[in-house]
Amino acid sequence: MNDLLCFAAVEFDKDPNVKGQTYWYLCSFADIKEGASVVAPLGRHNGEQVGIVRKIEFADEFSAPYPLAYIKKIKRVLGENSENAPYRIVKKRILNPTVTLMDIYAPLVAKKAEAGQFIILRVGNDGERIPLTVAGCNRSAGTVRIIFQIVGGTTMRLNSLNVGDCLSDFVGPLGCATRTEGLKKVCIVGGGVGCAIVLPIAEKLHKLGCEVHTIVGFRNKDLLILEEEFAACSDKLTIMTDDGSYGRQGVVTAPLKEAIEHGENYDEVIAIGPLIMMKFVVATTKPYGVKTTVSMNPIMIDGTGMCGGCRLTVGGKIKFACVDGPDFDGFEVDFDEAMARSDMYAEFEKHSRDENCNLFKKEVK
Amino acid sequence: MAILPKKHDMPVQNAEIRSKNFEEVALGYSAEIAVTEASRCLNCKNSPCVEGCPVNVAIPDFISKIKQKDFEAAYNIISQSSSLPAVCGRVCPQETQCESKCTLGIKFEPVGIGRLERFVADYHNTNFKGEPDLPITNGHRVAVVGSGPSGLACAGDLAKKGYKVTVFEALHLAGGVLVYGIPEFRLPKEIVNKEVETLKKYGVEIQTNIVIGKTINVDELLEDGFEAVFIGSGAGLPRFMGIKGESLKGVYSANEFLTRANLMKAYKSNSQTPVMHAKNVAVIGGGNVAMDAARTALRLGAENVYIIYRRSMEELPARKEEVEHAMEEGVKFEILRNPVEIIGYKNSEDKHDPKNGFVSGLKVIECKLGDPDERGRRKPIEIAGSEYIIDINCVIMSIGTSPNPLIKNTTCGLEVNRNGGIIVEEQTGKTSKKGVFAGGDAVTGAATVILAMGAGKTAAKAIDEYIKAKV
Repeated sequence: MNDLLCFAAVEFDKDPNVKGQTYWYLCSFADIKEGASVVAPLGRHNGEQVGIVRKIEFADEFSAPYPLAYIKKIKRVLGENSENAPYRIVKKRILNPTVTLMDIYAPLVAKKAEAGQFIILRVGNDGERIPLTVAGCNRSAGTVRIIFQIVGGTTMRLNSLNVGDCLSDFVGPLGCATRTEGLKKVCIVGGGVGCAIVLPIAEKLHKLGCEVHTIVGFRNKDLLILEEEFAACSDKLTIMTDDGSYGRQGVVTAPLKEAIEHGENYDEVIAIGPLIMMKFVVATTKPYGVKTTVSMNPIMIDGTGMCGGCRLTVGGKIKFACVDGPDFDGFEVDFDEAMARSDMYAEFEKHSRDENCNLFKKEVK
Repeated sequence: MAILPKKHDMPVQNAEIRSKNFEEVALGYSAEIAVTEASRCLNCKNSPCVEGCPVNVAIPDFISKIKQKDFEAAYNIISQSSSLPAVCGRVCPQETQCESKCTLGIKFEPVGIGRLERFVADYHNTNFKGEPDLPITNGHRVAVVGSGPSGLACAGDLAKKGYKVTVFEALHLAGGVLVYGIPEFRLPKEIVNKEVETLKKYGVEIQTNIVIGKTINVDELLEDGFEAVFIGSGAGLPRFMGIKGESLKGVYSANEFLTRANLMKAYKSNSQTPVMHAKNVAVIGGGNVAMDAARTALRLGAENVYIIYRRSMEELPARKEEVEHAMEEGVKFEILRNPVEIIGYKNSEDKHDPKNGFVSGLKVIECKLGDPDERGRRKPIEIAGSEYIIDINCVIMSIGTSPNPLIKNTTCGLEVNRNGGIIVEEQTGKTSKKGVFAGGDAVTGAATVILAMGAGKTAAKAIDEYIKAKV
């Protein structure tokens, strides 16, 4: 009897792709019961997700319901009622060493969020408020997807959380949704983690029957994210890497310029990425007069128009990214000023990052 | 016993010490002082002070309870009219309200009504251990948008009448301007928390992280079974002057600067939120918010803090006590000056100099006062050629706000005036939309805590009548 192992069949009812199906997992938590919420890796990416145990079987290694060599393990058992805890992380996937995807349980936000809008979150009770653009949402499951780059103290703390953990605060959707009405042919340009934000816009346009050409750029092959997702919603996809380790070598503006010169008649170019990339995209499209929308992500606190920290100069006027944006007409944005303002707290950020690094190192030990 | 001609001084922290800490400046009356101050009240027949109070606290009644040393009874009298006595005792401009009407004030200094109110509220908060008498619920649901002074006052009054009130707050903490705007040293956050907790005991539910107009719309609240909605969403977008250099690093709106310091606790060394600790700070404007920003900058370690105001000390709109406190602490008043340009640091030889793009100076122009404008305030006139530059590293714009368009843009049939303020019937707070009421800065533009509270209470009364009439 000693050799009996515990197996649990888990249904991931929050994930529409696999809802209704159960998967066998090896479970090292002997007191597990049917109906319990557990965290387990799912799919070939092994993203951690929350599921419900539908059936439990004890068997030896030869009569296991799934070959032991291939079976995955349940990571954690969640407490009762934790499933609907506010702002709980229901899925976490590492996209590349510096970029992480998370689905957060926030049904009110999920109900309303549209491509182009953002949320503000806080990690821990002394945490700062940071804005992140919505990378997708699942209205029926009540989850909002965020994809973030680990750049400072807060994103580092965020990345240290796992499925089942909760954020302190998560508010949104804020800002205005990206305008998609009437667009027939659009070029989507994404750079780095900006691709995560531009993806839902590409998906929405694709769904609306718009012809979508996508150009995404990364520093190298290792940092490439969301290739399949872009391929699925683009009529044409061009991948650029700075070092040529994948796709074409070069910057995103090169194929953009070629396409425009080649006579591709875009109704609009939507560019999201680092400020410097958006600045050069605008410099590329402006001579041809192709309308270009950019999404700005300045330093913010409240995100509702109260503090004015996110102000930008657009067309010579002060605009607040949180209420007037985050999308703006690229031809009108003062990028140099936005770039200068974005590093106002560079020193502080560096310090905070170092401190958090040390903190996590200690925890690992 | 002869009447004491002067009101008892408020014990305060020493100016030199307090300008370096965030602890409360005014320490409050002791019971002995409170009783003697209360005995200055003439208990005059027509009690004009009550008229001077926007929420009509029964002032002579609570003062006579203090005289009898029945402080808890005094508290009960105040709390019948005011939902936030400990807050109002601290931040109300009593000198232009109740105390300005005090009969004793004709010949002598008026009774220190505000200080007595604060004493009573603090006494209650420290000594009262019981539970409040809870009202019987009537089953009607009311939504309150914003947990600032008007929202809390409205929610408190309705809850005491038995309504099931839900307050929606956009930020992660309840209190509105009381937590993000007014600094710790003037209004300790613990006091705000206590007032909020008291409301919760009365059954008020507070939902943070919900932006009405984004997460949920007013129309959806009404569809969702709320029979009435009160909008107390506050003042909104900070104004800037439109002068050169306002986008330089080191230029803040007072809202941003104070939010970083107060709400996000950036003054604490372990805070995750940064704020600039500048050496020379210029605060543009002369209101209470400007005083708060200036005194906060001082506590963050600034050596020189200037208030730049375009009129004279006489027109300065801030409360007298705040101005005095600021002066004692070392804030310098550069009056009759108007900023014309903010100058930025630019090292033309080194593009990567980290100081590039930060504020390095403020160019101001001298002003003189001309004839009174339509509001009776004398207009500042710039004196040509009088510009000069002050050495400054941080500029804080405190020149008011314009209303937030979020709710207006997402609520069908809600009318606003040309300034963007919600139009209401003054006696009731009724808006153009059925079942929707409004009050506070969202209606009037930036004003005071007590006026907002007054508006919240007025609306609470009107909402009660509205719902009762429907049934």
